[in-house]
Amino acid sequence: MITKLFNPFKYIAGGYSLIIGVLVLLFTALIGFFSNTHFPDLISVKISPDLPLQYFIIQNLSNWIVVSSIFYLISIIASTSKVRVIDVFGTQALARFPYLIASFIGFSNSVDNFGKYILWELMQIGEPIELNVSVIVLAISLMIFTLLLTIWLVVLMFNAFKVSANLKGYKLILLFIAGFILSIFLTGLISNQLIQIF
Amino acid sequence: MNKKLPILCPSCNSELKVQSLKCDSCETTINGLYNLPLLLKLEQKEQNFIIEFMQSSGSLKVMAQKLKLSYPTVRNMLDELIQKITKLQNEIS
Repeated sequence: MITKLFNPFKYIAGGYSLIIGVLVLLFTALIGFFSNTHFPDLISVKISPDLPLQYFIIQNLSNWIVVSSIFYLISIIASTSKVRVIDVFGTQALARFPYLIASFIGFSNSVDNFGKYILWELMQIGEPIELNVSVIVLAISLMIFTLLLTIWLVVLMFNAFKVSANLKGYKLILLFIAGFILSIFLTGLISNQLIQIF
Repeated sequence: MNKKLPILCPSCNSELKVQSLKCDSCETTINGLYNLPLLLKLEQKEQNFIIEFMQSSGSLKVMAQKLKLSYPTVRNMLDELIQKITKLQNEIS
């Protein structure tokens, strides 16, 4: 059960995971559009301003394409195995499943209101806002839940890279960290451009 | 009972050799000191993998379906086996 949750790629990869993964990305974009939840870099989850559906679709797809392309390039350079492009892209697409769940978070106003509350209380930015205890508890619970989803996402991305690239030991860990940081940087840049376009 | 062929010495963990072979039909016994063939130095599950791989005509896709594992998982298993066989061959030569 734990293996299926954290390393489903032992059983699913290639075309099958690509189809499921792309559907996951499209549903994440659709739900994010209705809940105003976006992913302005590889791992960030934020409440978005009102933006068209195309923005959410392009952002989700670009996050996936950037990380998959970087990991594919690393794999063909560093791995002695014959790495298939469909495995890298398919497993990385499926690895983004936790953020399908995260895209529902924006349906609750509590996190957004809690953010505004903190900004006013600590820095006098925005407008004063009154929050009752239940809203604060809900907002903190949702933030912790999002953090757990992010950890799940990173573990899935790591295992997707490990299975599809067949790397091991320190080489695997160092290359994953390098690719991961580069992807965060590039997806952040792309999202900034996207917001300006839309 | 399906007995497991020991390949390592239970006392010092060194590689075992064949000292005696016996004909089951006429009970002739041959004594000597023979090295184990390379394939017999692999673990049982690795030998089974090789047999299944051959029965699948060397298709990793068919192997993946048989074992209910993903294609890259099976490819990684095969790559590990190739590395182990190469290491054993280098030790012999």
